[in-house]
This record gives sequence, structure tokens and C-alpha cells, in this order.
Amino acid sequence: MKALESSYFEKFSKLVLSDLKPDEAMTLTLTAEETFFSRLSKAKVRQVTNIHQAHIDFNFIKGNKVISFNMPFSAGQGDMLVALKKLSQARDWIATLPDDPYLVRPKFYGVTKEENLHTLPKTQEMMGLILDVAAGVDLAGVFSCGDIVRATINSEGQFHWFKTRNFYLDYSLYNSSQKAVKSLYAGSVWDNAELRRNIKDAEYKLTLMDRPSKKIERGEYRVYLAPSAVGELLGTLSWGGVSMGDHQRGNGSLKDLWQKKKTLSPLFTLSEDFSLGLSPRFNEAGEVSPMDLLLVEKGDHKNFLVSTRTANEYKMESNFASESESMRSPVVLTGDLSREDIYKEIGTGLYLSDLHYLNWSDRETARITGMTRYACFWIENGEIVAPIEDLRFDESYYSIFGEALERVTDFSEVSPATGSYFNRDVGGLRVPGLLLSKFKFTL
Amino acid sequence: MNLLNILASLNNLDAEYISLREVKSRTINLSVRNEIFEGLSNTEDHGIMVEVMMNGQFAHGATNSFDPAEIIKVAQEAKLQAIEASRFSLSKFSFEERPATVGEYKSPGEKGIDAFHPAEPTKLLMELSSAMKIHEHVISRTAYLYLNEMHTHFVATNGANVKQNIMRTAVGISATAQSDKGIQRRSFGDDQSSQYGLERFDTQKLLGEAKRVASEALELLDADECPTETMDLILAPDQLYLQIHESIGHPLELDRILGDERNYAGWSFVKPDDFGTLQYGSKLMNVSFDPTMVGQNASYLSDDIGNLATKEFLIKDGLLLRGLGSLESQKRLNLPGVASQRATSWNRAPIDRMANVNLEAGTSTLEEMIKSVKRGIFMQSNRSWSIDDYRNKFQFGCEYARLIEDGKLTKIVKNPNYRGITAPFWNQLKMVGDESTFEVGGLSNCGKGEPNQVIFVGHASPVCLFSNIEVFGGGK
Repeated sequence: MKALESSYFEKFSKLVLSDLKPDEAMTLTLTAEETFFSRLSKAKVRQVTNIHQAHIDFNFIKGNKVISFNMPFSAGQGDMLVALKKLSQARDWIATLPDDPYLVRPKFYGVTKEENLHTLPKTQEMMGLILDVAAGVDLAGVFSCGDIVRATINSEGQFHWFKTRNFYLDYSLYNSSQKAVKSLYAGSVWDNAELRRNIKDAEYKLTLMDRPSKKIERGEYRVYLAPSAVGELLGTLSWGGVSMGDHQRGNGSLKDLWQKKKTLSPLFTLSEDFSLGLSPRFNEAGEVSPMDLLLVEKGDHKNFLVSTRTANEYKMESNFASESESMRSPVVLTGDLSREDIYKEIGTGLYLSDLHYLNWSDRETARITGMTRYACFWIENGEIVAPIEDLRFDESYYSIFGEALERVTDFSEVSPATGSYFNRDVGGLRVPGLLLSKFKFTL
Repeated sequence: MNLLNILASLNNLDAEYISLREVKSRTINLSVRNEIFEGLSNTEDHGIMVEVMMNGQFAHGATNSFDPAEIIKVAQEAKLQAIEASRFSLSKFSFEERPATVGEYKSPGEKGIDAFHPAEPTKLLMELSSAMKIHEHVISRTAYLYLNEMHTHFVATNGANVKQNIMRTAVGISATAQSDKGIQRRSFGDDQSSQYGLERFDTQKLLGEAKRVASEALELLDADECPTETMDLILAPDQLYLQIHESIGHPLELDRILGDERNYAGWSFVKPDDFGTLQYGSKLMNVSFDPTMVGQNASYLSDDIGNLATKEFLIKDGLLLRGLGSLESQKRLNLPGVASQRATSWNRAPIDRMANVNLEAGTSTLEEMIKSVKRGIFMQSNRSWSIDDYRNKFQFGCEYARLIEDGKLTKIVKNPNYRGITAPFWNQLKMVGDESTFEVGGLSNCGKGEPNQVIFVGHASPVCLFSNIEVFGGGK
């Protein structure tokens, strides 16, 4: 697919940019992929889809006005005609728009090119092995592989190119009573033995779910949140929790932390850390974020994510966050709780492997609700007693990452993004497990 | 582009069945905040999906290149993928799951993208934002306009040929008020997109709504916290849309019942044996799948595999009758379904979906419902939602509520929430509002599927009264 080659995007962009007049500026952002998806259920194939797609977003500025538009990008001869037609309409419309006082003008943020292109086996070979190893197991999920490109060029000469080839098998296994364990095998280097180990390990964990479920009454319990559960909590925190714009506009959820009225636990340190290597450091505008930005250090607020638009509006410094000011590469610092000591340190309480469908109960007090999901167990005297029936929780981030946080594991897990709305996501996170002295269940 | 010619060029592929689905979606978004124009985006998504069946297995290929050679290449790849996947098929399908429907559909909307020019809508949004500037505590005043046209052309080797031109519009407004007593938000229109065009917007009515939401956001700043107790609950349509969506629509999707969605969106508490036997709700509960409602958000002639859409009752007199499932899922479960195999766009394969899922009107007026309540609460406008992966234990939050004491609406309370379990909750449905309380809404952000898909759905509902529901507020 030609749109995945940088030369086509560069050549096309130069042609479009050469049409600009002196009072005009533009940023072009390419999103492209060639992806294979296979939807799996009962370790069989439900659907397969092969997708070739590419589009370019244009941010066009004339004077103090801005308009954005986009077009499909085939890297073919017809693209230029489409672009000029759209540019002509944009010029017509932009004249009637009000000025934008917080306009983000393109600047030169350098030239970078990053390509991570390990050779993967043929799709049929990877699929064949997955279905062979999972034969006889009730596996549901999705396998995906292929190339992804994110790139941006602007009229000031900036050019950033990020291309990666990766795969993921995002799956869960089920026993006869419909209890499940969740797992992910993802990366850019395929390893047959590692895939086999991953599925067999999940199969072993599933045997723990064969015990009869225990119904837990509502109330507060000691809990251990495994890294995947902590990842879910960060996902919701990213939705208004660390955005400067949201806090300025009354939609933020960590206002008391920001205003130094509250702190989180000294054991909790959160940063946006691009050294994970899963996400490009440049945003939609091509601005390059710091490699490592502390958001919370030992419980104290350090930074929120600030886009240049927010910075222009509230007269502050941008840290080149994305437009949405959500985390793209969050990392939580590890602590000293070893894997071997987790059950012992829970004592009597709950081991929660995953959380599901989180949303705000009260944004102002950072209270969230959600459900337990997959392999969650009742622990007594440091021993697994039984899997639990799903529970609804309602708790504040000030408790979870604050007063109730007792220990942080000495290991963390990397979880690459597996979202695929519109296109395959890039990015991911690295988080440890957390031991909490209390966690409130309401239903 | 002539889709039939492209289909003809694929004749020598020697596949059991081929369909082509071209989707061209154009969208305009404008937004204003605090009387500052925040931007206009004019986007287009255009591509084609090829579906090929080999050995009873479907495979899909998608491209946004319209070079005939590229489309042939994608079709050839899909054929090979279908052959390969057929070694591991979950189910085998045949022509029976692909009807040869021929027809056309067009939304009732008149003023769409071709009639759009930014000047007038920008002026409207500026006026709406200004109308909310009633007090210095109203710190954020947003207004947006959304306009979409989606043209779909579906052709197949069995003779199916369906063209659908769907227009959707929405205007949304919201006011956020902040003082030393806290922060509160009121909104209007977030869940009310429909298939009418720009002609639907009545400036005077919208200005009235803008003033109302700003004034209610201010009222909420001074309101008491919602009490924590079990009481009667009246829900307005702009909350019931989400309640219907999460606790009726999703659990009735046949692919969830089959387990296809277990790894992502989740399973369902509904079992195949429940159809025809499960008393899902009280006798007052009647729920339909109605893609024929004129102007509702998810009305259409046929779904994305050419299945002709008709109105069907999912629940009648509280009894569960039918699920939301495609011909493929119906075959796998040997259960009746509906025409709901839909895809978000050209780049995703169609899966079981909701369309318009509506709670039918009853016979009670709002006044009768309020009068019947000794101690209760009337909640409006969804602001938070969460439900488990079997669609049982839910929690919803609303923007605005008033207590009901001795048959009368009394004081306003803030941060109202309620929780419950799906079937017991719907069996506590005590009164259903009449046509005077019935409103039609539409949501644009229903997420599901692996790979992920987001899709338009519609929900309509009267005001409803539920007895003995757990209600609670915000705070620590």
C-alpha cells in the first residue's frame, strides 16, 4: 500500500503546500494502516477483515482564522485534484468565520523519522498457530496485525514520520460455568514459544476459576488491583483528570489536587513517559512532547497536560499535549511489594485482576464507579478461597491513589493500546499492581 | 463510480457470493465556547468494502482507493482469507443469510451539506452561547452543531441493490456553573440527533433552552445533595434513552448472547431459552425495534447485508419475545431477530446492532405520576452510566433532579444517582407516560465490536415511574 511509504506523503504535501498564499499556513497529518483483523469465538473464526486505509487531516490557517478538513489518501494521481477542490472550498468558507484568538500556528518542530518494522510471519501462519494452541479451549477475542503510520508535515518545514508493524492477540478464556480469565499477547517480534506460554498460562489461571463462586456482601474490603485493573483506572483518569483545559473550564476531576488542597499517597508517582516507545512523541500538530513529564510525584501535583491551544487561552506554557489533553504513554512508578507477597499482604480481602465500564459518580470529588471483571478472587489468610460474583464499586481517586494506598508492586506490566475505533490505536501504558487498605463495593 | 460495473469485473473471481458496499460520509462540526468560535471541521470518509463467501465462510476486504485494480486486489485477498478461515469456521453460512433486496431510502431531512454555509450556523451558536451568559458563575457556555450525510450503496452477486441516503443533524448546548459551593453542569441536545436537516432548528426555541440550562446550572450550585435512600423514581426521556440502551438494547443483542462479544463489550444475562418465557419487566413494558419511525436517528430501509427492516416487538406486556440479531445470528440460535447487521462505515464488517429501540407510550400523564408518589425523585438528563458485562448491575447519574413529597415536586437536589439490577428494575415499572410525555432521541456513540465500531442508534421513550429504587448523591 503506497500510502504507507513516506515518499508519497512528502511529495503530495509539498505539492499542496506550494499552492499556499503568503497569509496562509497549513499542517497535514497522515493516519494510515494496513491491518488484518480476525474476530474469534470458541477458538474458531467468526469474521476476518483486511483493511487498507489512509486519510489526511488538514489544518488550514488564513490570517487569524482556521478551518480543518480531510480527505482519503490513496497515494494516487487523483489525490491532488481532491485536495485542491477542498482547499478552494476552505478558502471560500474561512472568509466568513470569526477570528480565533487562541489559534495554534504551525512552527518548525524539527524533522524525525522512526520506523519499527520487524518481519512478522505470514498471517495464516500466526492464525494457524493461535487456533492450534487454543484448540479445545473456549477462547474469545481478536487477533490483529499489520503496519500503522502517523505522520505530519507543515508549511514551516516540519516533518515527523512514525511507522510501526505490530500484532496483538487480545483474548479471554472461559470455563464451563462461564468464568473467565483475560490475557494479551502483543508485540512487534513474534515468538511461537511465547504465544504458547501465554495461552497455557491463561489456561492454568482458568483452572482457579473452577471453584464455586463466592457472593460478597456490599461493604469495604482490602483489595489488590492487578496492573490491568490499574490500567483501567488510568484510562478513566485520562478523561478529564489530567487535562489543564478541563480543569480551567470546570470539567476536571482532580481540582483539589491541582489547588494543593489535597494530596495523593507518597507511594504514587505518575508520569507521561514516551520512553515506552509505543507512541510517537509528536502530536497532531507535530509538536514534540517532553520525553518524560511528571504529572504526580510522590502524591503531589506537578503538571497537568497542556495543549498549545489551552496555553494560548490561559496564558501559560504548553507541554505539547494532544488536543484532547489525555495521556498517551502513562507510567506509574513501581514500589516494593513482591509478586510472591501479594496474597499474604492482602490477608483477607479481594484480588481484582480487571475492572470494567468505569464512569464518574461525582467528578468533583473524583468518585468513580465500575465493575469487577474476569479473574477476581476472595482471599482469606493469604490464600485464594474462591472466585467472586461480579461487584460494583464506588470509590474516589483520592482514596485509591491516596489514603488507602498501602503498597505498590516491585514489578510493572506494559500494555500496548488495542483500541481500534476508526483506526488502530498507537500508544500504551506501564503500571504496577496496587494494594489498598479499603475499597468500597455498593452492589 | 459504477458499483455494478466493478461487481461485474469480479465475476471471474469464482466466489460463492460477493457484495460491495460503498460508503461516503461527509460531516461538518462547528463549536463555540464562551462566545469564541472554536472551529469548523469538514470531513469526508469514503471507501468500499468487499465481502466474499467461500466454503460458507465470509471474509471482508476494505480500501479507500477507488482504483479498480486496487479493488480487485482487495477482493482477491478476501477470497484467500475466506478459504483460509473456512478451515476454522465458527459457523457456516449460505445465500439464505444474504437477501436480494432492491430499493432506495432517503431521510426526510431537506437542508443538508450542499445547502450549508458557515455564516448562519456560526451566528446561531454565538447567540446560544451569549444567551447562557446570565451570571459570572456560568464559566463555560458551549454550543455545537453537527451535520452528517451518509450515502451507502450495496450491491451483490445475488441481485441485491440498495441505495440509502441518510442525513443527521444535532445542536447541543451546555452551561457549567462554578462557585465556592462547587461545580454543576446542565445540557440540552446531546442525545437528540435525528434524520432531519438544518431546517429543524428553531432559533427561538433553542435560545429558550440555552437560558434554561444556564439558569438550572446556577440553581444546582445552591441545591442540597441528593439524599441516599430507597424511593420512587420518575425518569425523563433524556435519561431513559440510556437506560433503554444499556439495559434492554445491549443484553438483547444475539451476538452477545452467543458469546461473540465476551472479550470486549461483554456477554448477556439473557439466555436463548428466555425468549418467550422471561418476564423482563412489568406488564406495562412494551419495547419495539422500529427502523420505520420517520426521522428517528437509526431509521433505514435495510441493514448492511440487504435485509429489509421492519418494526418488531422485542418485549410485549413485559414478556421477552425477540432479540436484536442478524440473519447469521438467527440461524446460529434458531431464534427470531431483526434487520440489524450494521457496520460503522466501509472499513468494518457488519455485526449485530441496535437501531431504533423504543419504549412505547402508556396512558399516564406526568401529573398523575407525580401525584401518585408519596416520597420520590424526578431525575432528568444523563451524565454518567456504567453497567456490568452481563448487563445486570447498573448505575446511572443525572444532571438535575427534584424531590417529590406527598404528590408534589419540591426542592431541587444535585448529583442525583441511582442503581439497580436490570430485570428487577424493569419489573418495578409502575406507570408509563402517555404520548404527551413521549420524546424521540438519538445517540451517536454506541461502541462495540472487535475491531471496535461506533454507530448511530435511536431511542424514544415516555416519562416512566419506577417504585423502590436505590437513590444516592455525590460527595465523599
